[in-house]
Amino acid sequence: MLQSFDKPATAPANPRAEWMALLARAPLPLLEQGLADHTQSTPQWLRRPETGLMMVQGRVGGAGEKFNLGEMTVTRCALRLAPAAPAPATPDPALNDTPVGVAYVMGRNHRHAQLAAVADALLQSPAEWPVLEQRLLAPLRAHVQAGQTRRHAQAQTTKVDFLTVAREASGGDEEETS
Amino acid sequence: MNAQSMQSMVAGFDNEAFGSQAVFRVALQALSHPGQIITMPMDAQLPQHGHGAAALLLLGLLDADTTVWMSESLANSDAAAWLRFHTGCPCVSDPHEAQFLWLAHGQALNWPALASLRQGSDAYPDQSATCVIEVQSLQTSAPAWVLQGPGIATQQTLQVQGLAADFQAQWADNHGRFPQGVDVFLATPTQVVGLPRTTRILNSQEA
Repeated sequence: MLQSFDKPATAPANPRAEWMALLARAPLPLLEQGLADHTQSTPQWLRRPETGLMMVQGRVGGAGEKFNLGEMTVTRCALRLAPAAPAPATPDPALNDTPVGVAYVMGRNHRHAQLAAVADALLQSPAEWPVLEQRLLAPLRAHVQAGQTRRHAQAQTTKVDFLTVAREASGGDEEETS
Repeated sequence: MNAQSMQSMVAGFDNEAFGSQAVFRVALQALSHPGQIITMPMDAQLPQHGHGAAALLLLGLLDADTTVWMSESLANSDAAAWLRFHTGCPCVSDPHEAQFLWLAHGQALNWPALASLRQGSDAYPDQSATCVIEVQSLQTSAPAWVLQGPGIATQQTLQVQGLAADFQAQWADNHGRFPQGVDVFLATPTQVVGLPRTTRILNSQEA
């Protein structure tokens, strides 16, 4: 999937895609803070955090031919939240309806991947969403926005406006010919 | 993979390194002693569909470079999603292209013929398909088949229930194509038997 990093996506089609993108860019302290007591829970791992390389592709101007930009380090994991109450263990784990969370984050921080997956799982439950939206996603959006604004301001200082001085319509020509 | 199949996903090996090594050991043991029934160590969570031993065998053997074909009831079940999630193996729609095949129990009529699968070539016999076939039961006490060939000192008896009716004819044909031909694993929910292409299957009366 090709996505512009700096500009907001044209259509915020899928709310889950939006929050997964936010969680992937989140700094760890904000995640720890926003998830509060959920950070201590022990999840059931579907896939333990693992680090690997992914090829990042780009298009010039977002429209040209695809090219390989380079590889980046990615850590991914998938987990199922531990049931709220340790009620009689479900004999069949497939019948367990606690949500599954998935995370793909940049870098090698396994803790970051785990917390992002926990947040993803929690956000899927309608009961938890409003709380986390306010406590976690809003600060994350502000953080990402602030980073973009800062980078934009930095880039603006290097901007050069090329001015073309239009020649006088007739006077110049006459001087050259005389 | 959609959100629905992700929701019913279960974990793979309890310990990835030890689990896959144990499966590899079982696969080697099974192919080097054809006809011997080997119990699969069940150190993993399994999908609801498919026989456990077959699922584990493929979980240990497959990776992102091996193509797999599954018979219809498996391909549309949680077993396919589980295998794809944990191994990253590409599923193909044509059994003749697949390097591994997983044939579901009780659907012998829909199984592709062994002769139609990848046979390898004389120069590269290793490029042939490996078939994991689910069967109902495996026994060595009731001598329906007598197996002979490399890896068997004198002879090995085996009774299999749940195979296609013409399997023995297909196998004779497969054996005759050596060094080409496919290798087969027969799997119950907990056990595995290896049938490499070098093994001859005789009826107990013939032996």
